[in-house]
Amino acid sequence: MKKILISGLLTGCILFILSYSGLFLSVRFFPALFAEYNNPLFNSDGNRDLLFYLHAFVFSMALSWFWDRFKSLFHGSLLVRGLELGLVYTLVALLPVMWISFSALDVTLVMVFSWLIYGFIQATIAGVVLALLNP
Amino acid sequence: MLLLSPGKEQWVITDTSNLIVNGSTNINKFSCEIPSYDRLDTLTITRNGKGALLSGNVGLNVQSFDCHNSMMTRDLRKTLHQKEYPRLFIQFLSLNELPGLTAKAQSVTGLVNIQLAGVTRRLEVSYQISADADRTIHLLGFKTIKFTDFNLVPPSKLGGMIKTNDELTVTFHLRIRTI
Repeated sequence: MKKILISGLLTGCILFILSYSGLFLSVRFFPALFAEYNNPLFNSDGNRDLLFYLHAFVFSMALSWFWDRFKSLFHGSLLVRGLELGLVYTLVALLPVMWISFSALDVTLVMVFSWLIYGFIQATIAGVVLALLNP
Repeated sequence: MLLLSPGKEQWVITDTSNLIVNGSTNINKFSCEIPSYDRLDTLTITRNGKGALLSGNVGLNVQSFDCHNSMMTRDLRKTLHQKEYPRLFIQFLSLNELPGLTAKAQSVTGLVNIQLAGVTRRLEVSYQISADADRTIHLLGFKTIKFTDFNLVPPSKLGGMIKTNDELTVTFHLRIRTI
């Protein structure tokens, strides 16, 4: 349990830095991609900003538990194990959620696709870090 | 040249009047427009020395805002609390000078009360006034306002990574007929 919490927390810290700096740079250098976020579907008064930034930790804790439970099924180098976790997460969790999001919400295909790619990259990074911390 | 007669005069605002709000975020600019005026309102103008007193209220339908992007339009309406405050009001109070109305636009200033989302602020507005051959008076008003002046929070998304700047430039073009 301690190992799950510590590796989850460390993975969360790394993802927090990488995810939000990546997002910050993407907004800065590809502003056109983010124009669609001026949409009432997205919270705009800042009262949920803390929850937004905690996402990296919620995500890492969940994957840390999953990794500890099923890591014996992932073989190969750190990168291969990380990529495999990224693919599993994308297929099992992200794809169905993105599917229902696109079908039910007034969001564009590009936006949903960018979330899919963003989630895959996050899960792959988490997989590499978890494979290193909890082999 | 049309000269305003002394005393009182009434102006009726025609439906081709419009209002444009220009603003920006850290990723783009936006321009939202109320392309026409859906009410029949009048302004009463009373000569007062060199200047003039104005009375009359223009109530613009927030639902009519069009930002040329459906998502942005809905976002602006939400920011302006359109459900609770369906109209924004411009109450005309005075003009510092009453110029002769010619085809050449003349610059004047005047006071207005602007009511946005239930909050009223008294502001000085710059105008350009002219009249065309059709005897239509064109009152073009410009004012920079801030969301926060009206206790409104400029929208921000993705934990503040996309931020709307506080300043908005409001331009209204009233096409007026003397009655």
